[in-house]
Amino acid sequence: MQCLLVDDDLDDQEVFLMTLEKINKNIKCLTANNGVEALSLLSTQNSFVPDYIFLDVNMPKMNGIECLKNIKNLSHLNDCKIFMYSTTSETSVLEKSKNLGATDFIVKPSSPATLKATLSVILDN
Amino acid sequence: MTEIQSPENVRKRNYKHKNNNDIYHKMIEEIEDYAIILLDKNGFIRDWNKGAEKIKLYNEGEILGKHFSIFYLQEDIDANLPQKLLTQAEETGKAVHEGWRKRKDGSKFWGSITITAIHDEKHNVIGFSKVTRDLTEKKRTEDELRMSEERYHRMIAEVQDYAIILLDENGFIQNWNIGAEKIKGYKADEIVGKHFSIFYPAEDQQNKLPDQLLERARAEGKALHEGWRIRKDGSRFWGTIVITALHGKDNTIIGFSKVTRDLTEKKIADEKLLSYTAELEIQNGELEQFAYVASHDLQEPLRKIQTFTELIKDNYNDEQFVDRYFEKLDTSAKRMALLVKSLLNYSRLSNDKSEKTKVDLNTVLAETKQDFELLIEEKKATIKSTNLPTVFGNYTQLGQLFSNLISNALKFSNGDPLIEITAKTVSRQDIQEAPVSLLHKHFYEISFRDNGIGFEQQYDKLIFSLFQRLHGKHEYNGTGIGLALCKKIAENHGGCIKAEGEPGKGATFTAYLPADV
Repeated sequence: MQCLLVDDDLDDQEVFLMTLEKINKNIKCLTANNGVEALSLLSTQNSFVPDYIFLDVNMPKMNGIECLKNIKNLSHLNDCKIFMYSTTSETSVLEKSKNLGATDFIVKPSSPATLKATLSVILDN
Repeated sequence: MTEIQSPENVRKRNYKHKNNNDIYHKMIEEIEDYAIILLDKNGFIRDWNKGAEKIKLYNEGEILGKHFSIFYLQEDIDANLPQKLLTQAEETGKAVHEGWRKRKDGSKFWGSITITAIHDEKHNVIGFSKVTRDLTEKKRTEDELRMSEERYHRMIAEVQDYAIILLDENGFIQNWNIGAEKIKGYKADEIVGKHFSIFYPAEDQQNKLPDQLLERARAEGKALHEGWRIRKDGSRFWGTIVITALHGKDNTIIGFSKVTRDLTEKKIADEKLLSYTAELEIQNGELEQFAYVASHDLQEPLRKIQTFTELIKDNYNDEQFVDRYFEKLDTSAKRMALLVKSLLNYSRLSNDKSEKTKVDLNTVLAETKQDFELLIEEKKATIKSTNLPTVFGNYTQLGQLFSNLISNALKFSNGDPLIEITAKTVSRQDIQEAPVSLLHKHFYEISFRDNGIGFEQQYDKLIFSLFQRLHGKHEYNGTGIGLALCKKIAENHGGCIKAEGEPGKGATFTAYLPADV
């Protein structure tokens, strides 16, 4: 199983990876600091085809919504499930991401335990 | 050809004459609606009929032999009116007069009289007939009508709050009231005879609005309109008008009444209310956006504090882990404090109504340099500047503007920072990048040019949005408020700000501040 986390916040990246490892040590998770980095990673490393992508919304250079649009144009990622992953959920952003084909929208939990539970449900499915 | 005068005929004729005379006399005597009086050639009363008695209240016995001036008012007698009328009748055959007369009881009646001279066969005046009609009722009705008309006329003439104008069928001004003078500034003798289109602005005249309004009033009976009109002195007022077609007896249009009210004050109040509402809507939108981004950015450190606390609890025995996460906890709390402080600063700026004063930007720059003395030294930065202007503004805000732009230039540096600050005067037309206040024609263009990391030009607008960051938090620290603050400050001063950049080659931030205040 392969994952990609796109988030400009290094603390959030650390906590996410830590939680993921607790769920399953065998999951390979790469990180990108913004949309531009994510796209470059996805389009240059053809061997890396993640099953799940977690996309922060507010990021410099290219935000999560723009990044989502671009990922949806990459045909080799058609089976990839994309989850928006942000501090807050604003209705307009929520709808935009839904219309652009995001699987779901996760509000970053303030408790690592909650994050673990949420990720477990997603990965078990 | 002479008729043969037979004795029989003479007798018959004499009889007829006598009879006719009697009947004629009787007829006159019995007429009640006219006073028919026979005067001798000096104006003394010789005969009197029922009508005379009824109108003047004397009986025959009392009045015969009296002079007819008895019926005249003292002022007419003093003016010798009775004799003048007799003389006129004597000379021209008759005299006609209307005027107040006096009854026996002293009451007055409005008499219409005709005095006719009576001549003998040799054309000598031997007396006068005087026919008098009592027209008091008619006179009263006429007077009332005239008074009512006059009152109506005065009422219109003296109405002050409405310009009430009579136009002829082609729109030329026929009369003018005080209200019209007060609202439009013309005196009656300056404007009567002119066309009413004189009150309309040039563009309305070109569009033939006055003619269209008359046409509508002609077709529909009246025309309503609201719009700007021009006073004599060229100033504008907001007029609300009603033009009503006036019809003659045969239903043809004989002219128009035009009632105008000056609602400039109301219009200005309405517009103020509208712009106030619009401003409020914009502010509301800004506030909503502000609340969203603020909650997002404030929640972030708060969420981290909760996360880190939980992680510390779960890994209490791992000393290294605990130390590391206490550090992160501290960073998050400090960031939260900084955000709250910056937000407060930004929101205070939106409500700042404090007085503006003359601010020498050279002083502002000197103070800013002093504030950053240590950082400038540490970064080996050079700040060059030309002579800067004195502007009219808020000292604290301008200080924040300089402080944010210089600290950005120091922060996003690439090697030893070189910051150049220049100023020149430009006209409003030269500023195309952003809207500036229409109240000013000239602006100071103050540029902050650096040799730092620059940015991609496509972000030149985004860069000024609240909480918008072009770089990851781990690359450069900051709240994402600084440039939004700079934009707000420039706008508060009636100016604007723009950004130009190229990655790796530096950035230039240019603020425009009004020069003509």
